[in-house]
Amino acid sequence: MIETMSGLSLAIVGAAFAVLLAGIGSAIGIGIVGQTAAGVVTEDPDKFGPTLLLQALPGTQGIYGLLIGFLILQRTGMIGGNPMDITMAEGWLYFFSAMPIAFVGLMSAIAQGKAAASGVLLIAKRPEELGKAIIYAVMVETYAVLALLMSIMILFGI
Amino acid sequence: MGIAKMNKLYLVAHQAEKDKVLAILQQLGVLEVSDLQAKDVEGQAWAEMVEGDQEQEALQSLEARLADVRFSLDFLQRYYPAKKSLLAALNDSKMVVNSAELSGSAAEWDKVSSNVYVALRKTDEKLMLLRNEETRLQNLKIQLTPWVKLDVPLEEIKATPLVRTELGTLPAAELAQAGAELAAAAPACYLQEINSDRGESFVFVLYHVSGAEDVPAILKQRNFNRQNFPQLQGTAAENLKRIEQELVKAENERKAALADAAEQLKYRDQLNYFLDYLTLERDKKQVVANLARTGNAFILEGWICQADLPELKKKLAAACETVEILAREPEEKEAFPVVLENKPLFAPFDFITKLYGTPSPRGVDPTPMLTPFFIVFFGLCMTDAGYGVVIALLGIIGLKLIKTGPARNLMWIFLAGGLSTVLFGWLVGGWFGLPLLGAPLFFDSLADPMRMLIYAFALGIIQIFFGMAIQFYRLVRQGKILDAIFDVGFWYLLIIGLLLFIAPGMGGIAQSMALAGAGGLILTQGRSQPTIIKKFLSGLLSLYNITGYLSDVLSYSRLLALGLATAVIALAINTMAGLLAGHPIGYVVMVIVLLAGHTFNLIINTLGSYIHSSRLQYIEFYNRFYEGGGRAFVPFRLKTRSIQIQSELQNK
Repeated sequence: MIETMSGLSLAIVGAAFAVLLAGIGSAIGIGIVGQTAAGVVTEDPDKFGPTLLLQALPGTQGIYGLLIGFLILQRTGMIGGNPMDITMAEGWLYFFSAMPIAFVGLMSAIAQGKAAASGVLLIAKRPEELGKAIIYAVMVETYAVLALLMSIMILFGI
Repeated sequence: MGIAKMNKLYLVAHQAEKDKVLAILQQLGVLEVSDLQAKDVEGQAWAEMVEGDQEQEALQSLEARLADVRFSLDFLQRYYPAKKSLLAALNDSKMVVNSAELSGSAAEWDKVSSNVYVALRKTDEKLMLLRNEETRLQNLKIQLTPWVKLDVPLEEIKATPLVRTELGTLPAAELAQAGAELAAAAPACYLQEINSDRGESFVFVLYHVSGAEDVPAILKQRNFNRQNFPQLQGTAAENLKRIEQELVKAENERKAALADAAEQLKYRDQLNYFLDYLTLERDKKQVVANLARTGNAFILEGWICQADLPELKKKLAAACETVEILAREPEEKEAFPVVLENKPLFAPFDFITKLYGTPSPRGVDPTPMLTPFFIVFFGLCMTDAGYGVVIALLGIIGLKLIKTGPARNLMWIFLAGGLSTVLFGWLVGGWFGLPLLGAPLFFDSLADPMRMLIYAFALGIIQIFFGMAIQFYRLVRQGKILDAIFDVGFWYLLIIGLLLFIAPGMGGIAQSMALAGAGGLILTQGRSQPTIIKKFLSGLLSLYNITGYLSDVLSYSRLLALGLATAVIALAINTMAGLLAGHPIGYVVMVIVLLAGHTFNLIINTLGSYIHSSRLQYIEFYNRFYEGGGRAFVPFRLKTRSIQIQSELQNK
């Protein structure tokens, strides 16, 4: 099967991986926060707004994954209907350009979800400390941003 | 500007004027009353004379009346929830009352509130009785329903001299067995299944007294469960009909009671006003617990902004005869509550500072320093002029609608951030992902991300250097000039030296600067250690902090990443929408995709830009100079929700 695969297929596998893994991570992360938030809101429905804000935080990794997936499709001509002829070597480059955001996105979204879930518990007792709860969760996201940056730089370097 | 100057204030006055003084202090709302333990009073001579002050009885009576008003309000809220629009909640619209007329109005509210309370209590009790009655009827209904086919009146299910009758349940599986055993043991026995439900058979048993021992024994063995309906007349069906009627009656009574309660709804506003009034009175009594007293005088201790002090003195002197005020600057190590004071342009950005925490009273108020950086970073994280216009418009509309409170500050931040987004979007991005109006004016960050990355790092270095400069200035102002040179100056030398290596033809200067900086750090960073070796080792180890500077600068790469994220998603939305063009229905769907997509992108990236721009302040910028751990100033003031008290004292 490998023999019949072109560089383009490899690039598309990469795009799929970026969206897949980062998306799975975000889904799990948002799910974790949602469970905790629902528990807090049973006690105090007024906390819906702030908890929703915290729940949105682990969602960015999925967006970063989508972004890289889209960029790969765009730069290989898949969007626009003129797929380029790509060598295997280039295909591997596209594939690996997706890896940083795919894996870091997966793990960091889950970790961020846990941090944000604890943040939900924090604001359950001290609603005025929402800012700090957000900062704790955003500390995790730094690494997703760095991975996204590396993915973009590899992609633009091809 | 920055952190306001505070003064410690002692106030002594005669007991007779206590209420008046407290009322004035509450209306002015400029003094934070500290808890004054008698033993803390400065000077031994004082301390022996004073004791804690209390007004327990008055406080308890106020708490009791507050509880009554809250009961009335909660009751009304439970059955007739008051809907307050979001805008009204944000704007905090209140009824204005003149302080002179307050006690008159309060007497009226008091009367209304008592009447409402009595009426609602009665309704509440009535509702409780009805609820109990309904529960009883429902339970009876559940018990009777299986017996609906039994045509024997229930009062006849009893023992007569010759015949016994019983009702009860048997497990359905045991029914046949029980019937056979009964037929064998007691011939004069009649067993009929009336109904069956979920594995239970509801049976009617009739037997001659001769079986009075055998029949119950057999039934018991088969897990017979007897049911009694004492006090019921007529058949089950008749009773069920009656229960239905009674339930309807109870429901009608409930509705009538609630309709009576609804009569009281028109007093809801007055109840809210009275709640505010009682809260204010209670606050005053609670402050008394923080006072100290002698036989005839009382002492109060607190903090006040230096700027407000003359005003307070003047107002108190005009209204009272016996008030004596002493004020002094805080002592060297004394912690005082923090008020952030900034020029109108910067004041809304307090919001960002306070989100992190209150700076230490001896520290720096970072608000004016972070404001320009925040605005620029926000614009770079969004990098789409179209989105910038939307955010700025939202800010303007928000400012029109929201008149007070932290939400208004947020709207200012939106406006400033939106304008900055328009600027940076036009320079290096586009309009809703499209290259309109000559955008990008400068260069396309999507086509040349490396160039953008370098600008992001440059901004980071500028902010970090600025933060170090603040620390340098702070240390110099505290007279620690050597610390300033050792802890900040040498780092400047080292980092600038390292940076100069990049520039062509500067190698020589770069090398000497970096070496001088590194050498200085090695020699000075261990200066608090006791031995020479330890001094040297800590000095050497301090060079490791260069990684901190490096990672802080790298962190600013998020400006590029987030800017690209906005741009690429906008592009993706436009591309998807473009695929739909060319067909009438396609155009409709295209518009929907464009609207929904760009709205989603706008919301998610505004949130991201706001949070990440704040984070760069809190982690990378604050790290260089910020000293936290302060306590926010909480003045003793009029805390109201529904009324706004206007007093001649407040006019400055």
